[in-house]
Amino acid sequence: MKKLKVFILIIVFLFLFIFINELFAQKYVTNFPEGSMIDDYYEDPENHEVIILGDCEVYANFTPMVMYKNEGITAYVRGNSHQLIWQSYGLLKETLKYEIPKVVVLNVASLKVSEPEKEPYNRLLLDKMKWSKEKIEIIKSSMTEDESFISYIFPIIRYHSRYNELTLDDLKYMFNHKVVTYNGYLINKEIKGVSTLPTKKRLGSYTFKDNVIDYLDKIRELCQENNIKLVLIKAPSLYPYWYTEYDNQVKDYANKYNLDYYNFLDNIEEIGIDYSHDTYDGGLHLNLYGATKLSTYFGRILKDKYDLTDYRLDNEISDIYNQKLYEYNNAIKE
Amino acid sequence: MKKIGIVLLIVVCFLTMGCGKEVKENDNKESNPDAYTFSYNGLDYVLGSEFTTSKYGKEDSYSEAASCAFDGADKTFTYEHFEVATYPDGDIDRIASIYFLDHEIKTPEGISLGDSINDMNNAYGSDYQQSENLYTYTLGRTHLNFIVENDTITSIEYYYDAEN
Repeated sequence: MKKLKVFILIIVFLFLFIFINELFAQKYVTNFPEGSMIDDYYEDPENHEVIILGDCEVYANFTPMVMYKNEGITAYVRGNSHQLIWQSYGLLKETLKYEIPKVVVLNVASLKVSEPEKEPYNRLLLDKMKWSKEKIEIIKSSMTEDESFISYIFPIIRYHSRYNELTLDDLKYMFNHKVVTYNGYLINKEIKGVSTLPTKKRLGSYTFKDNVIDYLDKIRELCQENNIKLVLIKAPSLYPYWYTEYDNQVKDYANKYNLDYYNFLDNIEEIGIDYSHDTYDGGLHLNLYGATKLSTYFGRILKDKYDLTDYRLDNEISDIYNQKLYEYNNAIKE
Repeated sequence: MKKIGIVLLIVVCFLTMGCGKEVKENDNKESNPDAYTFSYNGLDYVLGSEFTTSKYGKEDSYSEAASCAFDGADKTFTYEHFEVATYPDGDIDRIASIYFLDHEIKTPEGISLGDSINDMNNAYGSDYQQSENLYTYTLGRTHLNFIVENDTITSIEYYYDAEN
């Protein structure tokens, strides 16, 4: 009898603990929807011929719905705020468990970062990532000095101080997910043109660090093993500055391994980006209007060069995508 | 039975008390001697302290950069000879960095752009961290960076370590 009571007590405790743990965890619905982007992918993790990896320069600048509408491309942006190169590698490995795309596009902006920098960005990427070997690897390689692994397992360790900011959303989305992106693209329609940019500072070193290149090598090798074409890009964000020295290293790397590299900063006029209108934060990220232009431009390149399928001609896939497009069009009209 | 309850309670307390990363209050007060301070026209720019244009004067130009996901913006105020970048801390802006734009200004220790690496060593000593061309002196949570090319200082920047 006593054993039974102990057993029941432990079960009650466990349920209570799980409940409190989930209740206090960040939901990333109303505030910081960027933290939900990782989770969106699990709703639709198949049939993408193009996977786009990178930081905010991809989820703000490339809209797969435009690529589908114009070219019939099925693309997904697996990008998160301040996503670092080892995180992109981990996400690519995770992606390959679900699907093998024809093309992986990697934005190279993160090559200039060789160490974990900010804990809140780790949280945005990792809190809602499904548990897997890849997640564990990403946590281990991303933790900053003050972080603990266990706080990723038990979010209450990190978020217990949220007790006074809990809302109904915390109950509503405890075990549910709200999709916030359109194939990884986060809509932003605000307009804040470029006025003045900070001075372009000299740097002590422009050379990418060895650990960063190691991860780039791993991404390239993983693509090669899976017969995936790796394409390097630099999104046309005016700031933080993309130095010529950085660009030359990427060009050299691309030449060495016979990869395509598109630095869209070189094609701003051709793409038609108007920085007085097409950015929502003074040149860091494109808004919907800029992203539409860039995705139209890049979609054409992808279609012309990489033998992608026109899924508008596939009944099954086009049904899914027409519904997505319908929802996307409604969202951008709101 | 009671013991088990207590053990479970202790486990919960252990997991929830004081383990989370809290946003640390900025402890860098105006008078903190453990911080680099830049002075210009009789005004002290203490890294990590509050910045307002009412105190430091109207800038020649201004730009701001929002963070990828979080509220607030990093702001840059450009003056004739230097640039002040700030970071948001609640409702106020704090000095994140000061970047020298020309050789018309000096650090309080007398170093300006164009001086030699020997001048730097004489003024600040050899207790620096070097990474390629970058020499970093640290005082508390503040840092002073010199970039040296061909033995000549080509960049001077103070910055504050707000994340630690």
